[in-house]
Amino acid sequence: MLASYKLLSKFVDLKDITPEEIENKLTFAGLEVEGVERLAYASNLVIGQILKVDNHPDSDHLHILQVDEGKKYGVEQIVCGAPNVKEGLKVIVARPGASLSKNNVKINKSTIRGVESNGMCCSLLELGVDKLFLTDAQINGIEELEEDAVVGNENVLEYLGLDDTIFDINVLANRSDVLAIFSLAKELSALFDRKLTLPEVAKYDEVPTNIKCSSETTDCPQFSIKVVRNVVTKASPKWLKEFLMAQGIRSINNIVDIGNYIMVLTGQPIHMYDLDKLHSNEFVVKNDVEQDVVCLDDKTYHLEKGDLVVTNNNEPVCLAGVMGLSNVAVDENTKNIAIESANFKGSTIRKTSTRIGLSSESSAHFLKGINPKQDEFVLDLTAELLVELAQANVVEKTSRYNTISSEKTRIECSVDYINKRLGTNFDYETITSILNKLFIETIDVNHNMFIAIVPDHRIDIQCDADLSEEVIRYVGFGQIKSQLPLMVTTVGGYTPSQQKRLNIRNLLIDQGLNEALTYTLISPSDNEKFVLLNNDEAYQICNPMTIDHSVVRKGIVSSLLDVIKYNLAHQQQDLKFFEVSDVITKAHHYQELCVVLNGSNESRGKLESNKYDFYDIHGIFEAIMNSLGIEKNRYKEERLIDSIYYHPGRTTKILFGKEVVGVCGQVHPQMSKDIGETYVLDLNLSALFELKVPQTKMNQVSKYPSVNRDLSLVLKKDILSSDIIRVVKKAGGSMVKNVEIFDVYEGEHLEKGYKSVAISITFQDENKTLVEKEINQVVDSIVSELFKVLKAELRK
Amino acid sequence: MQEKVKQIHQESLEEIKNASNLEDLQNIRNKYLSKKSELMSFMSQMKNLSSDERICFGQLMNTIKEDISNKIEEKKKALEEIKLKEQLEKETIDFTLPSRSFSRGSKHPFSAIVDQVSQIFIGMGYQIAEGSEVETDEFNFELLNVPKGHPARDMQDSFFINDTLLMRSQTSPVQAHVMLSKNGQGPIKIISPGKVYRRDDDATHSHQFGQIEGLVIDKNINMGNLLSTLELFAKAMFGEKRQVRMRSSYFPFTEPSVEADISCFECGGKGCSLCKGTGWIEVLGAGMVHPNVLRMCGFDEKEYQGFAFGIGIERVAMLKYGIDDIRKFYQNDKRFNKQFSKE
Repeated sequence: MLASYKLLSKFVDLKDITPEEIENKLTFAGLEVEGVERLAYASNLVIGQILKVDNHPDSDHLHILQVDEGKKYGVEQIVCGAPNVKEGLKVIVARPGASLSKNNVKINKSTIRGVESNGMCCSLLELGVDKLFLTDAQINGIEELEEDAVVGNENVLEYLGLDDTIFDINVLANRSDVLAIFSLAKELSALFDRKLTLPEVAKYDEVPTNIKCSSETTDCPQFSIKVVRNVVTKASPKWLKEFLMAQGIRSINNIVDIGNYIMVLTGQPIHMYDLDKLHSNEFVVKNDVEQDVVCLDDKTYHLEKGDLVVTNNNEPVCLAGVMGLSNVAVDENTKNIAIESANFKGSTIRKTSTRIGLSSESSAHFLKGINPKQDEFVLDLTAELLVELAQANVVEKTSRYNTISSEKTRIECSVDYINKRLGTNFDYETITSILNKLFIETIDVNHNMFIAIVPDHRIDIQCDADLSEEVIRYVGFGQIKSQLPLMVTTVGGYTPSQQKRLNIRNLLIDQGLNEALTYTLISPSDNEKFVLLNNDEAYQICNPMTIDHSVVRKGIVSSLLDVIKYNLAHQQQDLKFFEVSDVITKAHHYQELCVVLNGSNESRGKLESNKYDFYDIHGIFEAIMNSLGIEKNRYKEERLIDSIYYHPGRTTKILFGKEVVGVCGQVHPQMSKDIGETYVLDLNLSALFELKVPQTKMNQVSKYPSVNRDLSLVLKKDILSSDIIRVVKKAGGSMVKNVEIFDVYEGEHLEKGYKSVAISITFQDENKTLVEKEINQVVDSIVSELFKVLKAELRK
Repeated sequence: MQEKVKQIHQESLEEIKNASNLEDLQNIRNKYLSKKSELMSFMSQMKNLSSDERICFGQLMNTIKEDISNKIEEKKKALEEIKLKEQLEKETIDFTLPSRSFSRGSKHPFSAIVDQVSQIFIGMGYQIAEGSEVETDEFNFELLNVPKGHPARDMQDSFFINDTLLMRSQTSPVQAHVMLSKNGQGPIKIISPGKVYRRDDDATHSHQFGQIEGLVIDKNINMGNLLSTLELFAKAMFGEKRQVRMRSSYFPFTEPSVEADISCFECGGKGCSLCKGTGWIEVLGAGMVHPNVLRMCGFDEKEYQGFAFGIGIERVAMLKYGIDDIRKFYQNDKRFNKQFSKE
């Protein structure tokens, strides 16, 4: 919200307090000042009067002026380009040496097309006044001052009402009260311990009213109307225009301006009806009207059940708290006015305002919450201004509908409680005097316990904890002494699965991969691709910002493939990314790891690089299983041949029993046309983490020598090397310590459909040195078993 | 005979001198020093000499043999040195060519901050609690003292799935889950890092971002405890000299609520562009847990008190690493991500 220093100082004594001090104090007390701006920027100004206007000999639009600047400066010659110069006009002169506007424009003596010019005649725009508040004539020409302007006066900004400073305050949801200048003045008077002078309303001889108010819904607990008669619509006086401008509001006429001024002062939105356009003296607030209405902005809106509406004679007259209807609006011919001051429930206003896409200053105030107990004061103050500024001569008594208790909120609290919460040592007197300064009355119970009585405008103070905040924000949080908690020792640390996740991330990073972070919300079409770890239904966002972020992802592979796409589009190569992320569907919540490899492993840049292949991605998979202590016999790995997303000959699925916990392999060439050969590892980490693995135990290392034997086999091409190793180990028994594949060959000299595989078998015994004969026996049985099971023959 | 031997000696020395490689040198050795060599054949003729002559000739032969042998050895050494030198020269490489990569990859700056903050609080005896990014309205708002229609809901425009489910707009619901799981028994010391979602998108706001929630609950926890905890955190994260100051603020689930600023780590508090001349940088929100929250989450608010704080993950990363646009966290440009390899 904007708050004018001058307006505030009308109600609280701010003498000798600088805007900087106010900024600082408010900010630390919870009303963050986000900006402090002067309304206008100018120095070395004086009011002058044009004595003579001559055309410039070398220009068709410049004039040579003789300007009287008073006794001190005498008459100066000024060259001016404004179209509205004329003899006798009183103008603002920026003298040589003046600086104008925020950007520090300097005015100097100069010669313009051969004619000497000693200063400049100014427009308000040039003084830094926002265009919003100026007419076209004011923007295009120099300012034409009123007759009352005194030639030679150097306090020009003061004369113009522009000698003001504006605070921009970020009002948080709890302090909606300071949206009223009166409340902000109270706050300042408390914080600086200065005198507060709020207006007392003069009581007029009010006449009885025949207006009746009521509400059919608890969403409107209070509704009041006051009638004022015989107003005259005209321009507002200068002081009111100036205050509104300082608050960022454009002046319209005295009636509208008074309404805005009242809202600025009290925080209470008021609404005015043209009494003579109403057909009944009864106002009823309803929430069950369904029809189209035309508002003040001349647009049509549809009312639904639940929307708050003010009705008169059963016809809607106001979209309550949001905007009035045009057919009952006040205009320049209005004579008699019904003024409304009501309390509408913020959440209901929010719903309506959001649904129809219409908000106003008024709705913004209701959303944040208003002081519920000041309607009579507000209406009296409004009436007073209408009498003073619009010549109203009949003021009727206020007609009220009110279900809000006039009781003030009372809170039981104690000095001990406040100190215990804050970790402070304040005594009774300190605490209660602070609360009193903040307009919270206190009743002493036993000089520890007390009862606090909360002023009406502080709707945020509801319990004893709130009082502790009032105390500490008043004295400042600098009063709190830093002290580490005294409590029982707790064991900190990661849970086992958090530790495992960290280990795996570190493993991948240490191996050269880059960790990625992508969005959880993706497009519905992306969410159907590459999801093999679950078969679930995704959560959908009902109010997405764009379709691209409208569903909760069921898997993270397509996000990582987008990362590849992005980097290729930005000329990056050798792409190796991974991400660990939660995946949440209607049926499951687990952590997923995805690794993607694309291009070549540029181990020495372009000098030495190897295209990524299946064995790179599978190596990563094996390293992860190894680091988790999950042995190969704990899971199955099968070819994944039935997915349109993966290469059927180069992809496996990883299974725990029947549950698919991972996919490892190449993206289907049809799916990777735009990014090229890409490899993916997609794992359900939660499933991996949940698997119990045994405690590590040492195995004895044999002290006897080992012996190697090589076999070259010929067998059918589709036999997996893992099967060869399995058969060798089974036939060889405990003596076989290791089996390595050291050559695979297909092609010439071999029958079609066959391959040759060379293996090296390591034999070793824990208890003795093996002799030739023993080894030969075992090799023989291995060879015969290989033939029996796999039809593998020794290569001749 | 002597003359002949001396002549052969001279010839051998000449040949040794001219030998250009080790093979030649070996041939020379065979030619002059093997038993069948011409030179050695004179030994068999010694028996025809008188004993004085024999002694004299024998001495001459020995001197010559020794001399040839020494000269061959000398030459061998010289040739070997030349050969080694040639080999080393040949094997000399350009040490500035690219090395074979053995480098780490990179942690994402987001998780780098999460890991660092986690380590700091684990050291203080905290545990890491994690929740679900799809939350209920009850946990995301109501149990945190934000009933339906509360104006604070405007502070957080959320992504809703239906009337009761939404993408969590803060990590605070984890507080409520942990408290309820404790059945009203303290102490609690947790932090809770994670992703949160709000309908917001510009250079400083992303619709997805990260928070780290902290919660301590016990019987005598006060505002001073919060301050000292934040001071420890600030020093560990941003340097030993950091100070913390608190300003009054508002969060529905804490009372009193504060914004905590740390003294600027760029200028040490003198004022610079990072801290916009104020010497202080806003890094987190905190406060004493609201009695309503304690009560709704099963704790006796007369017996227990607690503090909570919330740290913006990207905010800390942007400050610490000088990242200027939050969207860079989610682009995953290799050139950006790679810069964090030592984190």
